Amino acid sequence: MELQAVLMAAGGGSRMMDLTYNTPKPLLPVGNKPLIWYPLNLLERVGFEEVIVITTKEVQKMISTDPKVKLDVKMKLDLVCIQEDADMGTADALRHIQQKVKTDVLVVSCDLITDAALHEVVDLFRAHNATLSMLMSKAHEFTETVPGQKGKKKTGEQRDFVGVDGTGKRLLFMANEADLDEGVVIRKSIMRKHPRMHIKTGLVDAHLYCLKKSVVDFLADNKSISSIRGELVPYLVRKQFSKSTNSPKVIDETHQNLKKNDSNVNLEIQISSRDEELLHLTQERSCWNDHRGDMSDAYHGGRLRCYVHIMDEGICYRVNTLAAYIEANRLAPKLFDEPAVHPSAVVSERCLIGADSIIGASCQISDKTSIKRSTIGVSTTVREKVKVTNSIIMHGVTIEEGCNIQGSVICSNAVIGRGADIKYCLVGSAQRIEPDGEHTTMSKACSA
Amino acid sequence: MSSRGGKQKKGNVTSEQEEEEQPLQAVLVADSFNRRFFPISKDQPRALLPLGNVAMIDYTLEFLTSTGVQETFVFCCWMSNKIKDHLLKSKWCRPTSPNVVHIITSDLYRSLGDVLRDVDAKNLVRNDFILVYGDVVSNIDVSQALQEHRHRRKVDKNISVMTMVFKESSPGHKTRCEEDDVIVAMDSKSKRVLHYQKTQGLKKLQFPMNIFQHGSDEFEIRHDLLDCHISICSPQVAELFTDNFDYQTRNDFVRGILVNEEILGNQIHLYVTQDGYGARVSNLQMYDSVSLDMVRRWVYPLTPEANFTDQQGQGCTHSRHNVYRGAEVSLGHGSQMEENVLIGRDTSIGANCHISNSVIGNNCTIGDNVVLDRAHMWNNVHVSSNVEIHQSVVCDGAVVKEAVRLNKQCVLAYNVVIGPNLSLPEGTVVSMHHPEEEEEDDDDEFLSDDQEVGHSKDKTRQKAFNPAEVGPEGKGYIWKASMNDTEDEELAQCLWGLVLNPDPESDSESEASEESQDRSRSVSPEIDDVNAFQLEVLGTLQRGLEENIVCDNLVLEINSLKYAYNITLKEVMQILTRVVLEYPFQQQGTQLTTLQYTGSLLPLLKTWSPVFKNYIKRAQDHLDCLSAVEELFLEQDTHQTAMVKVLMKMYQLEILEEEAILKWFSTGATNDKSRQLRKNQGVRLGQICVWGKPSQNVKGYQFGHCGSLILLLQKETTLLIFSDGVQRKQTPCSQCHKKESCGMV
Repeated sequence: MELQAVLMAAGGGSRMMDLTYNTPKPLLPVGNKPLIWYPLNLLERVGFEEVIVITTKEVQKMISTDPKVKLDVKMKLDLVCIQEDADMGTADALRHIQQKVKTDVLVVSCDLITDAALHEVVDLFRAHNATLSMLMSKAHEFTETVPGQKGKKKTGEQRDFVGVDGTGKRLLFMANEADLDEGVVIRKSIMRKHPRMHIKTGLVDAHLYCLKKSVVDFLADNKSISSIRGELVPYLVRKQFSKSTNSPKVIDETHQNLKKNDSNVNLEIQISSRDEELLHLTQERSCWNDHRGDMSDAYHGGRLRCYVHIMDEGICYRVNTLAAYIEANRLAPKLFDEPAVHPSAVVSERCLIGADSIIGASCQISDKTSIKRSTIGVSTTVREKVKVTNSIIMHGVTIEEGCNIQGSVICSNAVIGRGADIKYCLVGSAQRIEPDGEHTTMSKACSA
Repeated sequence: MSSRGGKQKKGNVTSEQEEEEQPLQAVLVADSFNRRFFPISKDQPRALLPLGNVAMIDYTLEFLTSTGVQETFVFCCWMSNKIKDHLLKSKWCRPTSPNVVHIITSDLYRSLGDVLRDVDAKNLVRNDFILVYGDVVSNIDVSQALQEHRHRRKVDKNISVMTMVFKESSPGHKTRCEEDDVIVAMDSKSKRVLHYQKTQGLKKLQFPMNIFQHGSDEFEIRHDLLDCHISICSPQVAELFTDNFDYQTRNDFVRGILVNEEILGNQIHLYVTQDGYGARVSNLQMYDSVSLDMVRRWVYPLTPEANFTDQQGQGCTHSRHNVYRGAEVSLGHGSQMEENVLIGRDTSIGANCHISNSVIGNNCTIGDNVVLDRAHMWNNVHVSSNVEIHQSVVCDGAVVKEAVRLNKQCVLAYNVVIGPNLSLPEGTVVSMHHPEEEEEDDDDEFLSDDQEVGHSKDKTRQKAFNPAEVGPEGKGYIWKASMNDTEDEELAQCLWGLVLNPDPESDSESEASEESQDRSRSVSPEIDDVNAFQLEVLGTLQRGLEENIVCDNLVLEINSLKYAYNITLKEVMQILTRVVLEYPFQQQGTQLTTLQYTGSLLPLLKTWSPVFKNYIKRAQDHLDCLSAVEELFLEQDTHQTAMVKVLMKMYQLEILEEEAILKWFSTGATNDKSRQLRKNQGVRLGQICVWGKPSQNVKGYQFGHCGSLILLLQKETTLLIFSDGVQRKQTPCSQCHKKESCGMV
């Protein structure tokens, strides 16, 4: 086994509270499949047979009991629960399962929907014997109108500055705009090694990482790091160019110190792999070099290397905001070939269903209904003369006669009264909308 | 070149029309406005110095002509007559020349800025023009860059004022020298320059945030660019120089434009060429590399045998291993020309010589058994037998006598005689000009006055040559660049430029220092005032110890130093503290153990306590002194345990007041490290504090003779605190091995 897959599915979805109030983020329906299905499917497609899923008790329970969130994956799922209220970061979670980690790991977040070729990331990891390789993608503009938001989304978000070398693969610099009060500061020695640095700002991190086992071991020793993205990755990127990680002597010394004094926390990361010596020998004997322009060894003798694969095209979304959730629902049908209308759904012949819509299992769609660019969840009932456009209807929703629903998200088990007119709304779980009501641009999240 | 001419004609209709209306113009600045080539350029302007036996300005003009320039304005200042004579005789001033050369001379030019202001005043340029220096050697085809520049100007309505031409070359490249090293931040898509900075002496490169806020999401930071000093300018450039009379150099201009981008709305773009050659001979280091590149045919079609200057007798033959021979060259028996050798006409070489990577001018004579490696000999040089020359420049008319050895980076200026039997150390510059004459010149300033040379020749007559320096039959003085040459910064001090350090060790060193709180290590030899002052103080104290000088006199001396170097009182005290505390390291090396360190330091403190007391008077002084102590021990983190002893000693000697120590300790740490220090030393420093504080169970305190602290507690008991932090109640002092508890003061 070369890589162990770890799926992080314990996040609360704090940036889309309206949706995750009743349904945990991993189980939110996207294209009538739970969100977690997408990363699992991604892993299954490339041939993983086993995956460690880090999640909460709640999610575990729902997966095993609720038929609506059935995961049709053949992989062996090793569910590991962590406490919900412990406020654990992704790195904490990785530390939690350190005992299970036997090889290098591939860490995926549960909210990733992508058609990326995973092998690109893993190949970088393999080819350069990298410590970290990750996936990024050009950021997408969300064009759909988001329920509960008037006007355009404000672009006050802080940008990430990502520096890659001339080949666009080696990760040299990473910082958030918020931390760059004094401007971008780069050491000259880095510039000398990598004289051409591309700084990109419009990228989104897919939260998909290949990490060496030694990094997991390092995490176990170093408890101050709690998040992979926030702390570990910037640390590794920085460490690429520090002297202590690059000269083997220093490492030996720290190693000895460690043995001598076990109580000392090992703050230095140790990059060594099983075949370290052989690799070293190969590198010495080989005429291959990763750079040109000077006479130094491949990688300038550095032992810690971070790489990034940046997707130029293709789908890559992180479903962590409402806007992204809507966008993902719109795109999800393109990712798998399944009939748009589930065989067990009862659809009247005298209704209009657009090719870009999905109808879930055991739905009932009545006469004179028109459904366009929408997703209808499992066991939802849609009565006569209903018009649904650009909307997401979750499971078990009942829509009475003559409703008009546009650009909205209707959560599970809601009931929409007869003749209601809903535009750009978010209707919470088990909510009831009065008949003949007219609602625009507001969210109704709470069931209370 | 003919193909290039054709290209212009092929260009689309509009540009053809444009070109027909407006011939392409160039401004060639045949003056460097600095003294980098002194003393060589005292006798010959830099533009006329031979490179591959052809004057440098000829390369520049050939480059301009080949890119399609039809009208060139040559601006000369220093020794303008010589340049004028040279140009009038050259092919550029023949009626058939495709490039009309106008020579404009003035003694008033002091900088590139003056030249361009004059361009504006005289209204010489009507359209985009190429700006180059007279020492640029290049074969780059700038027509592509020119087209891009024009396109940008058409699309963006005159926003882009300049396109700088760069050549891609990795940092280890030979033709890159440290002083011209630049870092450029650019917008990847529009090729706009966002940040332009010389990197010399910098360890960290800082890019302000505002350059990343232009809407683009892709930027490039490039350190693989060699500045060719070729720029395509719009006529606005000259106007902008007029508007901003403080712009002196192109560097000023570029920086000014970038900083004021938002106000003025002008932009600068760059053009990067992958092939082609372009370099400016800005120092001897560059001269050496460019000259060899020329011989190695990197500047094709400008090669030595091409005789592009079209002068009689300049032709030479090219044979394998890049060996070029002019007419009438005689080569003695057994002499070898290994590779990359260019020999001018009428030169004779003796037997058993070994020549590689060298250029030898016309009418030279070289004796037997001579070894030349990377030697650049100009015309009429005489070299006797058994001479060895490595990477050196020998100017016109110089004579090198028997058995002389020139080590690396030597320069023999015009008409110097060296030897016999002498070995010049690395980096020696010998000239017929006495270095002092240079300083005298400085009074009446400026270099661009050829009469001055005549003046100064008389002055030199009286001074005798030093046979130890130039040999028994030698003629010439060792040249030392004058230190008071503030005009051109520190660069003037070394004729050879600083080499880009290819040594990876230095890299990792800088990293290491970055790790452990940047310790400033200056790369260049020059030292600033504070450092100089520190050295002087150290020297003074040292002398004080050796000669037993009274402390009052030491104070007097330091005070005078303070005025000499313009140091504030606060700095004086900090430096003094630092020097004293570092003294044991200075004298006995850095491997001292903490015990040895304190052992040698404490008596010193006692000796110099009057000096301290003189400077530490006000409360603020105490704090400054303490922070200096703290800073030092932060650096010497292995000796932190000594800090408490030092503080205690200073307290005992009444240098520091107790209140000050307490205040310092309680004002808190400014950064993590000092917090750490305080924490580590916390126990001990805490104790120092405890005795000062009116605490309920401590009535008083005293010092034991071995530095331990004795607290008199409420209940008639005493608590001993030793300087290493150990606390004992009434136990024998382990340090003095006495049975009874450690005695009172």
